[in-house]
Amino acid sequence: MNSTNDPVIVAKDIHKKYGDIVAVNGISFDVRRGEVFGMLGPNGAGKTTTVEILEGMRDADSGEAIISGVNVKDDPTTVKAMIGVQLQQNAFFDKLKLTEIVDLYAKLYLAKVDPVEILSRVGLDHRKNSQYAELSGGQKQRLSIAVALVNDPIVLFLDEPTTGLDPQARRQVWALVKAIQENGATIVLTTHYMEEAEELCDRIAVVEDGQIIALGTPDALIDQLLETGFKPEKRVREATLDDVFLNLTGRDLRE
Amino acid sequence: MKIYLALTVASLKMYFRNKQALFWALFFPLLIMIIFGIMNFDGFNSPNVGVYDAADNDASRALVQALGKSGDQELLDISMGSVEEIHHELEFGGSRAAIEIPANYGIPGEFAEIKVTYDERFQQERAVVSTILGQMTDAVFKEVAQVPDEYRVENSIAITESYVTGQGQGFKAWLIPGIAAMAIMQTGLLTVVFTLVRFKSQGVLRRLKATPIGASHFLAGQLTTKAIVVVLQTYVLVIVGAIVLGVSVGQGRMGAWFDLTILALLGGALFIALGLAVSGWAKNEETAAPIANIITMPMMFLSGVFFPLSVMPDWLTKWSQYLPLTYLADGMRAITVEGASITTLGTELAGLGVWIIIAFVIATRMFRWE
Repeated sequence: MNSTNDPVIVAKDIHKKYGDIVAVNGISFDVRRGEVFGMLGPNGAGKTTTVEILEGMRDADSGEAIISGVNVKDDPTTVKAMIGVQLQQNAFFDKLKLTEIVDLYAKLYLAKVDPVEILSRVGLDHRKNSQYAELSGGQKQRLSIAVALVNDPIVLFLDEPTTGLDPQARRQVWALVKAIQENGATIVLTTHYMEEAEELCDRIAVVEDGQIIALGTPDALIDQLLETGFKPEKRVREATLDDVFLNLTGRDLRE
Repeated sequence: MKIYLALTVASLKMYFRNKQALFWALFFPLLIMIIFGIMNFDGFNSPNVGVYDAADNDASRALVQALGKSGDQELLDISMGSVEEIHHELEFGGSRAAIEIPANYGIPGEFAEIKVTYDERFQQERAVVSTILGQMTDAVFKEVAQVPDEYRVENSIAITESYVTGQGQGFKAWLIPGIAAMAIMQTGLLTVVFTLVRFKSQGVLRRLKATPIGASHFLAGQLTTKAIVVVLQTYVLVIVGAIVLGVSVGQGRMGAWFDLTILALLGGALFIALGLAVSGWAKNEETAAPIANIITMPMMFLSGVFFPLSVMPDWLTKWSQYLPLTYLADGMRAITVEGASITTLGTELAGLGVWIIIAFVIATRMFRWE
């Protein structure tokens, strides 16, 4: 059936329209097992729609989405049980403690987990008795990743996991994504931060107007650009403003 | 089943940790109940009197009209009914006197005997009714019969008085089931609308859609929670109300609690379904709140929660008797005040049943997850 070399995700010529607006216009790609696959592009490029079709949250107008050999459109429930999902806009029940939220979601997958252990994997064990509304932005993102991990997913979808976070919290999420990948999960990530894509992704698809306009490893994409004779406008410095900020304010999370 | 239980437990926890919801479900209705109960509106109104008019001729109609109103002055609050109905009302505190006008009233040469029955516990009202009845019978007889003074009224009409000891416990006992019914409406409709619309606009429902269970399990858990809350709330309101206002429940019949539970669940189902319809239609809290209020506010005042329907004009009660809250309040009142069994509440059960069907049809048509 599925050898380890088979792609775990296959997207084949996916199209999706909302009324007259074309959101996805023929997107195809494969993701290999254990890979971190990044989808980059400006807002409204069609990243989120593509991801939601793969997650079984929306039906494509045409084309195929297959996760681990299962056609998403035919059997969304099986697919949903195998994957972990962090939506772009996450919300969880208020009035529940974090352990109760994790426990509840684990039960929805009929999974047995230790909520405190899951929370400690995302560095939230010290807030286990807090409620969702009391968390900072970075903590909320990490909780939503924790919830996405309750069913030990074979594919983890992260839709803009660091949008709106400060540099410290962003690096915390990056470390978390790397740790999850080392545990063997396949990750699909959307972002509009190039630095994030370069830091985390094995391969990148650049999406614009509902189509993939470039696909490859970060290094290969940069090399392709340089081959065209491209010269950066400014000399690349040894450090970035991000580094300056982190050097001044420290790498510790503000929680 | 396990998933459903987990969702029900979680939403119960959420509900009982929400102090605001508890306030509106329990403390607010109790507060109203106690304030109105202490004010005790019994004495403010002109006495309610049930009249059975067997004659139904010009003379008898003139008498009934005169009993209700003389010139500009309101006298008695008259409600017409059969012999059984007016005595039932009297017995259970709905009225203070029952007057039967015989078939031969107003027919020349006949001797008519008007029978009036009082609740012996209300002597003050008895005196008022007795005086008005005596004076008006006299006045109307003279006017309609157009007879000279020497044809004395005593020779044509007699008024015989008798007494019963009513079982009604007055306005306080009357108030409790009405407020409990109103609280069922508030919990069913308002809390369903506000929780679901909030979850919808925040994206909580969307996040659930990303799990294999789909959102219908979540909905089932939410509805179970509300059903449990509605029943507990009814118990608390009726028990605390009865203790604080010092009245008995269901004439001491234990089965009344079972019957109340059934009615609370039916009422809960009805208003929860209405809540689903509203929250399906509304996109956010701003649009949901006015709709929910437009549905609940008029019913609070038109369904006989605070005051009997009989104090309202007839053209209004003609319509308001069909309101869902009227059926619920009437049914609960029959059980707690009169000690009636649920098996005798055919009208109320049928009314609730029809409304439940209507509400569920609207809810399934209107409900959207996003």
